[in-house]
Amino acid sequence: MAYKDFRDFLHTLEKEGQLLTISDEVKPEPDIAAANRALNNLGDKTPALFFNNIYGYTDARIAMNVMGSWPNHALMMGMPKNTPLKEQFFEFARRYEQFPVPVQREETAPFHEVEITEDINLFDILPLFRLNQGDGGFYLDKAILISRDLDDPDTYGKQNVGLYRMQVKGKNRLGIQPVPQHDIAIHIRQAEERGENLKVAIALGCEPVITTAASTPLLYDQSEYEMAGAIQGEPYRVVKAKDADLDLPWGAEVILEGEVLAGVREYEGPFGEFTGHYSGGRAMPVIQINRVYHRKQPIFEHLYIGMPWTETDYMIGVNTSVPLFQQLKDAFPNEIVAVNAMYTHGLVAIISTKTRYGGFAKAVGMRALTTPHGLGYCKLVIVVDEDVDPFNLPQVMWALSTKLHPKHDAVIVPGLSVLPLDPGSDPAGMTHKMILDATTPVAPDIRGHYSQPLDSPLGVADWEKKLSQMLR
Amino acid sequence: MHICPRCESNRSEVVSKSPVEGAWEVLLCPVCMFTWRTSEPDSITDPAKYKSAFKVDPRDIPNAIHVPLIAERRQDRS
Ligand SMILES: [Zn+2]
Repeated sequence: MAYKDFRDFLHTLEKEGQLLTISDEVKPEPDIAAANRALNNLGDKTPALFFNNIYGYTDARIAMNVMGSWPNHALMMGMPKNTPLKEQFFEFARRYEQFPVPVQREETAPFHEVEITEDINLFDILPLFRLNQGDGGFYLDKAILISRDLDDPDTYGKQNVGLYRMQVKGKNRLGIQPVPQHDIAIHIRQAEERGENLKVAIALGCEPVITTAASTPLLYDQSEYEMAGAIQGEPYRVVKAKDADLDLPWGAEVILEGEVLAGVREYEGPFGEFTGHYSGGRAMPVIQINRVYHRKQPIFEHLYIGMPWTETDYMIGVNTSVPLFQQLKDAFPNEIVAVNAMYTHGLVAIISTKTRYGGFAKAVGMRALTTPHGLGYCKLVIVVDEDVDPFNLPQVMWALSTKLHPKHDAVIVPGLSVLPLDPGSDPAGMTHKMILDATTPVAPDIRGHYSQPLDSPLGVADWEKKLSQMLR
Repeated sequence: MHICPRCESNRSEVVSKSPVEGAWEVLLCPVCMFTWRTSEPDSITDPAKYKSAFKVDPRDIPNAIHVPLIAERRQDRS
C-alpha cells in the first residue's frame, strides 16, 4: 500500500474527493491560514487544501491539511476513507507490532533534480507565510528533521526523525525548538559537549507515513524509518544525504542540509502552538543551511496549528494513543483494552481496562503517568471499564457521571513533570496530575449500587453489523 | 532601513522580493528576529498597531531563557 511520494498521496486524496484545490488568488497572509482555520472548524472529515494561485508568486504551490481529518488519516494507512476511528486505532496497533521493518536503500531520488549550494535564500526558494497573528515569523512546521546520536552512531534506531517547529530567521538560518523531552535535544547536547556543530537534514513535503512515524512518541532507540515500514507494510525507501551520514525519505519534495551551531542560542518565537496558546519568546538553537535540493516546481507542505482541533491533532492522535496502549499492555497484558490519548497530544488520556480487584484501575492510571510519553503529558488520566469505548466521549462522560465518587476516585499526584509548553504548568514543566477512576468498583472495593446495569435488547450486535454494512 | 513593528528597532532589512514585481517584500529584524511581509494587514506591519501583548523590548532579548541550556564542554575527550 506504500505511497511512492508526496504527490502520489495527493493524487489519492484527489481521487477520493479529499483534496480541494483553491484556484482563486489568495494572499499569503492572512488568507492561507484563515482558510485552514475555517476548514478545521468545519468538522472531522474535511479535505486537504491545495493553493496554486498565490499573490506575488508565479508558480508557488502549497498543500495544507493533508492529514487533517479522519478520512485522510485512514487513507494514509491505505484503509477505506470512512473507516471508523476505533478500527483505525486497532489496525495501527496491529501494524505497530510488525516493527521493525528494515529500510530499502536507493542511490538517487526525485529531489536531486535541482541543487543549490551558493547564495541560499529560503525566503526565495519556499513560499513561506505567517500562520497566526502573534507568530514571530514564518515557520516550517511540517518538515521532518533527521539527526544522529554521536555517542552511538552505529545503532540505527538512534538516528532520529522528528517533527519540530523551525522559524526561518535568515536567508540560510532556522531557529529550532528542542524541548528537553525530545530526542533532538539529546543530540544537540552531545554535539555541544564536544564543541561541534550537529549535522542535520530537513525534509519537506513527505508522503504521510514518515510524517506519522516522526510524530509518534517512539522509544529513543526505535527507528522512525523502520516504523514507517511497519505502518505501510513494506520497506521504507531512503537515500543518503550528501553532507552527512543521514538517511533521507526518498519521496520528499525539498531537502535542506545543514548544521545546528554549537553553543548558539538566539531569540525565537512566539509561535501559536497545539495547546491553543502561544509559546513565549525564548533563546533557542540555530540551524545554518548549507545545501538545498528539490524537485522541479516543488509543492510546499505546511500545516495550520492553533486552538484544537487542527491537522496536528489528527496527525498525532492515533499514533500517540498506540505507544501508550502498547506500554500499558506490557505491564497489564490481560486487562488493557484501548487507549485514547488524542486530546492535546495526550495531556488528557482515557484508558479502557478490565479490573482485577479493587484499586486496580488507579494502578493503571499511575502506570500511565510513568510511561515515557506520560512523563511529559498525561496530566489527566481517566480510567474506564472494558465495555466503555474510550473514543466515544458520550460513553466516557456517562462513566464519569455514574461511576465516579469524588471522595474515592479522584487521585491527585503532586509535583510531576510535564512538557514546558503546557500553559498551566507552574513553574513551566511542573504540574500536579490527576487520575479519575471511572470504573465500576470491584471487591474488595464494595461501594455504590451497581448490581443492576442496563442491558440491551437481544440481537443488537447482529443489527449493528447489518446496518453498518448497509450504510457503507 | 525599516522600523520593526515588534521591537521598533530601525535595523530591519529586505530579505526577499515577490517574484511578481512590486507585490510585496519580506523584511527581517536582526534584533528580535521578527519577519513580516509588506502586504500583511497593518496590525502586523505598523509599529503603532502591533498588538501590545506581543511587543518585544530589545533590552529583554539578551535575558531570554535558553531552551535547552548550552551543554558544558566535556573534558574527557580532546
Ligand atoms: Zn524587531
